[in-house]
Amino acid sequence: MADFEWPWQYKFPPFFTIQPNLETRKKQLEAWCSLVLTYQRHKKSYSLDVTEAQTSPLFHNKAINRKLTLDAIYTILDELKKRGHVEYTDKVRKQCLVMWRTPEEWGKLIYSWVSANGMNNTVCTFYELTEGDATTNEEFHGMEKWLLVRALRTLEAQGKAALMDDGVKFF
Amino acid sequence: MRRGAGIGAIKNKNLAQARYKDKGTEIAEDQFSQMTKQMEVFKKNLEDFATKHKDDIRKDPQFRLQFQEMCASIGVDPLASSKGFWAEMLGVGDFYYELGVQIVEVCLATSHRNGGLISIDELRDRVMASRGRNSQDVSLDDLLRAIRKLRILGNGFTVLTAGSMQLVQSVPGELTMDHTNVLQLAQKSGYVSKSQLIKEFKWEEERTRRALEFLTKEGMAWVDDQGGSERLYWIPSLFPDVKSS
Repeated sequence: MADFEWPWQYKFPPFFTIQPNLETRKKQLEAWCSLVLTYQRHKKSYSLDVTEAQTSPLFHNKAINRKLTLDAIYTILDELKKRGHVEYTDKVRKQCLVMWRTPEEWGKLIYSWVSANGMNNTVCTFYELTEGDATTNEEFHGMEKWLLVRALRTLEAQGKAALMDDGVKFF
Repeated sequence: MRRGAGIGAIKNKNLAQARYKDKGTEIAEDQFSQMTKQMEVFKKNLEDFATKHKDDIRKDPQFRLQFQEMCASIGVDPLASSKGFWAEMLGVGDFYYELGVQIVEVCLATSHRNGGLISIDELRDRVMASRGRNSQDVSLDDLLRAIRKLRILGNGFTVLTAGSMQLVQSVPGELTMDHTNVLQLAQKSGYVSKSQLIKEFKWEEERTRRALEFLTKEGMAWVDDQGGSERLYWIPSLFPDVKSS
């Protein structure tokens, strides 16, 4: 993570204490949400284990000896959930999916790539989309299948794509 | 036995008075025309000076300060109006109005992190950055002048002095001496705590609590519960790393 650029707040000790003042807290949560998403995006990670996250550099800045408590982590994840970027995958809320772009946003991104490359009315396999040579420079390259499928479903709902077993036809 | 004044004496006296009066008017007129002449010469010289040093005044903050001081000592305010001779001749009016707008922009853009409180040095750095590399240099004096002009818009902009440092407050709300004292103490390390304040200022607990609560409520202070045995109050505008971001 040497090349990850931490925001200034990361070095600001009170950033790791949930702020009592509502206005300030709003700014704090805003900054945390964007930090979590950019961090996950940098790591190309699509999920988060809450227990592990407690010791991850994301929530623990050893240099200034500050870390988020479990409660605080949940406060931030809940906020992200409200915004459609996080979904818990189990009842006890230990595992969650983190989508630094929402499925709708991914859908748009994929569709604009499809249109730009004249792939309308053709069939693509999922593998081609996320692992193929043609997409190495695209942000959705290497994307996990569950998220790809959800992104494509949003396109399907708009009539821009039809899903098959392991592929998709774009219109 | 003393003789009373005769009619001739009275006439003489009246005549003399009238002459004095005439002479007085004459002198006054003379002085007035001389003053007018002097003023004209002076104004011309000042104009010549301003025209000659136009570039210096625009570019060199030190020179601009001296020019401002010179004007102030003779009761001329080049910033009084954006129209008129000075502004047209020098563009100084525009300079300060432009600066004012940039100050407002920086204060708004940073208020989400500093609660509307910014040190004058950081403000200067940011204003300079937003002006680009090739623009005129801006001195602290220029900033203070521009901020003073912003008062016309209401009392949203105030310059606070906390010890050796000046802070610009861009949100309404009166800071008391207690608050500025807290800010002053926070300069050392970026934060303060209750016990620090009690020790430093000999305040009673309640007074300390009120001052800290106010700063927190206004978004000027952030609380930190991981700094040891008691809660620390950090002031983002005094936190060094904020500047580099």
